[in-house]
Amino acid sequence: MSQKLVIDPVTRVEGHGKVTIHLDDNNKVKDAFFHIVEFRGFERFIQGHPYWEAPVMVQRLCGICPVSHHLAAAKAIDQIVGIDPENLSIPAQKIRKLLHFGQVFQSHALHFFYLASPDLLFGWDADPLKRNVVGVAMEYPKLAKKGILMRKFGQEIIKLVAGKRIHGISTTPGGVHKRINVKERNYFLDGKDIPSIDTMILWAKEIIDFIKEYHLKNKSFLDSFASYPSGHLGLVNKENGFLELYDGNLRATDAAGNITLDDVPNNDYNEHFYESVEKWSYLKFPYLKHLGKNKGWNRVGPLARINICEGIETPLAEKERLDFKLASNGKINNMTMHTHWARLIEILYCAEMMKNLLEDDDILSNDLIRKGERRKEGIGIIEAPRGTLIHHYEVDDKDRITRCNLIVSTTHNNEPMNQAVRWVANNVLSGEPEITEGMMNQIEVAIRAYDPCLSCATHALGQMPLEVNLIDNKGVLIDEKRR
Amino acid sequence: MKKEGNILLIGIGNSGRQDDGLGWAFLDSLGPELPSNIDVEYRYQLQIEDAELISHYQKVYFIDAYKKLTPEGFFVTECFPKETHSFSSHALPPETILFLAKNVYNKNPESFILGISGESYQLEIGLTETANSNLNKAVSHFCHDILIM
Repeated sequence: MSQKLVIDPVTRVEGHGKVTIHLDDNNKVKDAFFHIVEFRGFERFIQGHPYWEAPVMVQRLCGICPVSHHLAAAKAIDQIVGIDPENLSIPAQKIRKLLHFGQVFQSHALHFFYLASPDLLFGWDADPLKRNVVGVAMEYPKLAKKGILMRKFGQEIIKLVAGKRIHGISTTPGGVHKRINVKERNYFLDGKDIPSIDTMILWAKEIIDFIKEYHLKNKSFLDSFASYPSGHLGLVNKENGFLELYDGNLRATDAAGNITLDDVPNNDYNEHFYESVEKWSYLKFPYLKHLGKNKGWNRVGPLARINICEGIETPLAEKERLDFKLASNGKINNMTMHTHWARLIEILYCAEMMKNLLEDDDILSNDLIRKGERRKEGIGIIEAPRGTLIHHYEVDDKDRITRCNLIVSTTHNNEPMNQAVRWVANNVLSGEPEITEGMMNQIEVAIRAYDPCLSCATHALGQMPLEVNLIDNKGVLIDEKRR
Repeated sequence: MKKEGNILLIGIGNSGRQDDGLGWAFLDSLGPELPSNIDVEYRYQLQIEDAELISHYQKVYFIDAYKKLTPEGFFVTECFPKETHSFSSHALPPETILFLAKNVYNKNPESFILGISGESYQLEIGLTETANSNLNKAVSHFCHDILIM
């Protein structure tokens, strides 16, 4: 009798998703799907609102990465008031980047220490009552303290620039609201009240050393688990092709490293992407038009970014990137679990960039806002923690938004996450007479590598427990597990 | 960073969900002229880093909406460290925060939960009349019976 296995919801990810695995009469996997079952519809209900409300409203998509939405929308609205990224004042650019690096730093710290480390430290077969951040705090208190303070540092940077840690406001069309003062920046430099930015750099290096050592001890697992060939997409610096998180050109490669999207300017994105839909998910499937739906999908996020860039401008992160490249013999890295490693390199990069910006007197300047000639359309693309984030708005003569299109990082990773689920289904579950807790968690481990934000991707809010249902080929529920 | 001996009030909730905003409304009701030894923090939910925060205080109040209606409209109960388990690490109960503060930071602040009864939690801004009434009672109790003590 053929069966269907359902994991609903998936845990330790941001948002609510479920997995179904279809089994045949011999318990062999026939197919597997990662469903996103939330729906909210920000793109629709923002229509009719004045364009200047967009950066404030759309950040409510998410409580984890609101800064990313705030900044992507701000970049788009800058264009509405006639300001392209390069025409923003230098202080405004640097203050926005400081905000962005603080956001990516805290988000990556949250993911690694809170969500991913329990699997690495305890193993996926460990008791789920222990395999969580509280368990990490109890057994590895020094590591937990560092994780907490690294996240706190990023959140304090966000609070400095945007006024509060979640859903703050920093940008205004064509610039930013406020400069930084000397006392505020010294808070992050002198180490008197919180560990300094130099300590953050030191700890970031330490945690990279941890993952490198872990890789040496667990090479077979990290190199093979849920790995598959894929395209890779992200922004790169317009001048030199280096890693770029705030403003750059779109670049993509195929699994072998051949360029499939050649440094395309942000405003041309729409010429290159389609989004398909499936009846079993609210999450769309973006792909490159010229490659088609089956070959044009790409991973986004830390692994993709490190793959496509030609270098990193900060010395310590660049050294780590070169070490990272050795793990794939200098070629494109398609090893899913290496995403954690890439994420930690980005933590170091963000820390180094924050130090550079905090020590830059431009952030003390009052030259904060530019004005230009009004336009009817604006496109903002940034690299959010989870990958390439696209905001696109059209407005009418009365300043009302008439159209909004959001392609969120996790949306790009929709097909990659489905590929990862299929890998686990085929390599771990297929043919097994019983689905164990450890097997279930391996599906989540594969999804978790992408740090998906399902709330963002469907623009919805929801919960994140785990449920597994076993359903026969007639759709009848024959077994259920929930936690 | 505050020194030892101070009080932290953490309002928990979401003002966009009607009476779920009671925790925040309580902090708002106290006004800006609080004694210098009292700090306030607004939270959608408690997270692990709040264990580090409360480790800097001698006394902590967690103020949150309470779904059940109580005769007084609110309650105050002492809160103790306790290890709890949940599917999510994004919303931890006060007991777990205290547990982590005690075990990770070796701090055990005297802690209380102030629960204020609400009756509706829909997507809407503004408290219900019942919640407003209960809020006033809780604020009065806190200001006269707790702060003055």
